[in-house]
Amino acid sequence: MLRQPLSRALALSPSKVAPLAARKFADQVQAQPDKVEVFINDKPVYVPPGTTVLQAAAQVGVEIPRFCYHERLAVAGNCRMCLVEVEKSPKPVAACAMPVMKGMRVKTDSDLTKKAREGVMEFLLVNHPLDCPICDQGGECDLQDQSMAFGSDKSRFTDIHFSGKRAVEDKDVGPLIKTIMTRCIHCTRCIRFASEVAGIDDFGTTGRGTDMQVGTYVEKMFLSELSGNIIDLCPVGALTSKPYSFAARPWETRRIDSVDVLDPLGSNIVVTTRTNEVLRILPRTNEEINEEWLSDKSRFACDGLKRQRLVTPMLADSRGNLTPVEWEDAVVAAARALRDCPPGKLLAVAGDFADAESLVALKDLFNHLGSENVCTEQYFPLEGSGTDLRSSYLLNTKIANVEDADFVLLIGTNVRFEAPLLNARIRKAFVQKETDVALVGPKVDLTYDYTHVGDSASIVKDLATGTSSHEVMKRLENAKRPVVILGADQLKTPEGAALLAYTQELSLRLQDKLVDKEWKVLNVLQRTASQAAALDAGYRPGLGAQLQAGPKVVYLLGADSGLVTRDALPKDCVVIYQGHHGDAGAAIADIVLPGAAYTEKRATYVNAEGRAQQTLPAVTPPGKAREDWKIIRALSEVVGVRLPYDSLDELRERLAAVSPTLVAYGDVQDNNYFAQARALAQSLQKPVSGKLDVQLKQLEDYFMTDSISRASPTMAKCVQAVLKQKQSPY
Amino acid sequence: MSNSIAKLLALDKISNFFNIIRQNGGIRASMYKLYRQDELKDGTLVGEDQFGNKYYENPRYFYSRNRWVEYSDNFNMNYDGSQVPAEWFGWLHYKTDLPPHKDPNRPKYKWMIEFTENMSGTTGQYVPYSTTRPKIEPWVPKPKSSV
Repeated sequence: MLRQPLSRALALSPSKVAPLAARKFADQVQAQPDKVEVFINDKPVYVPPGTTVLQAAAQVGVEIPRFCYHERLAVAGNCRMCLVEVEKSPKPVAACAMPVMKGMRVKTDSDLTKKAREGVMEFLLVNHPLDCPICDQGGECDLQDQSMAFGSDKSRFTDIHFSGKRAVEDKDVGPLIKTIMTRCIHCTRCIRFASEVAGIDDFGTTGRGTDMQVGTYVEKMFLSELSGNIIDLCPVGALTSKPYSFAARPWETRRIDSVDVLDPLGSNIVVTTRTNEVLRILPRTNEEINEEWLSDKSRFACDGLKRQRLVTPMLADSRGNLTPVEWEDAVVAAARALRDCPPGKLLAVAGDFADAESLVALKDLFNHLGSENVCTEQYFPLEGSGTDLRSSYLLNTKIANVEDADFVLLIGTNVRFEAPLLNARIRKAFVQKETDVALVGPKVDLTYDYTHVGDSASIVKDLATGTSSHEVMKRLENAKRPVVILGADQLKTPEGAALLAYTQELSLRLQDKLVDKEWKVLNVLQRTASQAAALDAGYRPGLGAQLQAGPKVVYLLGADSGLVTRDALPKDCVVIYQGHHGDAGAAIADIVLPGAAYTEKRATYVNAEGRAQQTLPAVTPPGKAREDWKIIRALSEVVGVRLPYDSLDELRERLAAVSPTLVAYGDVQDNNYFAQARALAQSLQKPVSGKLDVQLKQLEDYFMTDSISRASPTMAKCVQAVLKQKQSPY
Repeated sequence: MSNSIAKLLALDKISNFFNIIRQNGGIRASMYKLYRQDELKDGTLVGEDQFGNKYYENPRYFYSRNRWVEYSDNFNMNYDGSQVPAEWFGWLHYKTDLPPHKDPNRPKYKWMIEFTENMSGTTGQYVPYSTTRPKIEPWVPKPKSSV
């Protein structure tokens, strides 16, 4: 179970906070203030002043029940569930909002505390409907659990026939969140999440007392790329998942820990399945990547895994129509095409969801055949150090450290939609640490204020050479922990190499002056989950030149971006598509080999910071689909160049030989050789004149970007909802 | 009289035995019939249906054993009760004593369909279409050329 409200306090224990080694800063070496001694149930505990009673109690393993308190949100103190008795205090105090005082003696299971909890519970239940049997939160409901643990054993509520329970009209907040507002207990977690984390001040309360309502004031949808998180936050069933409504109970499902691949961050997820069907995806806490949030595409696009799937091998018949065949026929046809083709005319293209195993296996196969034409769809300049140095294509600062930055410069990226949780980190820094943000690129809504420097590429050049007179220049120079994030999309343009060179120059110039020598400034934000692993494995980024060479056989490993088209290929070119969705790639293919999606295989993905993580199989691949590396391994046997690995472990040994980082699961290496990359890039600093543009500008662009989300009906509804909201006067 | 004495001494059983063997076409044919039908009987052929099943009667056997069907050789070992057409079913189960070809009162309408045996368990069986949505909806490639 992911949401563990009662044990959430445990998350505060030192072991679960991001490792200290990852966050060493020069000015943090200051004397810790004296700790205060408090007594929780007569057990002494030393905590820094300013700690709340609830956090102090958590340190000695005492869990105080709560509804409104959430450690990642501001303290509200309005549910009163955390009332505890404090000695010499006339009234019970709210533990979540009360800072500790020296010598404070807290009693968390005294009669007064118990009576206070029972009273609060009784008041909450007076207006809470008794619809647990039809409520989607049933089984994972804080109110259910806590009324069993702390509530009274009998009811005094007899008014049901006279004035009844309070009833509240449901709100329409979009296609993802179902609201049953009668169940709301006014904890205001959703309001605080919306305004603090998501940065959308749509939610609020109207009225007071019994008439209090949580809503959007005017009829408006809650449209954010992080909206799904309020479902997890809601302690009762007032906000539930619309696509998952009435689908399953938590005790019926199997939960498999996995990793998300729909954005480059590799958020940790839990895949919930029943009867070999993915029902929903929930976030899994990982302080270094996604905290406990998850973006909407990652969470709700899972129904795309059941549509438009490739379930059987297919072969083009004499008329060119794809017809289902057996594996044997498809593999033999593919092997014949690969074998009969001169090595120089082979081309392999890896797409968004290619895992490290199949990337390495495919590259090995092509190398055995004598070809070096293995490419990714995303371009990256090969001039200068190219992809030889890891530091030039990864997020070197690391996601968790971004919130310690004091100045963030975004170059040609809309982080909000390219990596929503990285944007949430920047917003967190902006809100809590007064970090300033500047953006070079088109003006977009990042949910926080930023300095818009302009959208011309020459600004980057001016900043890098130090000739800019913009105030951002001064701010960057003075920043103690600056972060520069360059969107990988900008590198596609002919000026990409120069832009990267300038960004490296700027970052390294700033980095050299820092007091904190560990701090990394340069970041390149990739767009897809596969790119980092592909570059690690030695893939050639971009395929413009290879396409122009007129390949005879094109092997698409889930390449669905639409970069490879029939018009760009010679007439007699054989296209082999291996992947899990029938999308742009399969549509132009002559041979289709059905692979497994990320919920169906144990596979390695490297996220944008260079952290290798593995997905675990939650369901079996549909129909005749098989795990991707196995398909390539089988194909190699028929081609006649048998790949020397028969099991996943053997393949991972090969992965480790290619790059040890590919199998260092959960770890992220510090990148080096910045100076060398900078030196190699010196000669590339040519004048730039273009304008920076980003692909995802508005929320409607965000939802459908890849083959899984394009197949998802929920994502299609989201796009419709955003477009409809635009028509609304509010 | 001698008949009844023979009966009393159970000697008629012997003559019946040889009679049955003879009627069923000799020892070899009798062995095959015994293997196929698990019993060997003598009787008068009452009729034959459109499938080649033969219907016999012998009042010497007691009621309910005295009318039987020997399935057509076309069915080999795969015979079963549903291969008896409806019109013979009545005679076989004593609903009527008149076999279909001797019964002038049987209605014949042109909407009556040809009798079919029960196809359950074979490839010809009836399978109702599913009303549930498949868990996985496969991709259907767009035809590149129309026929």
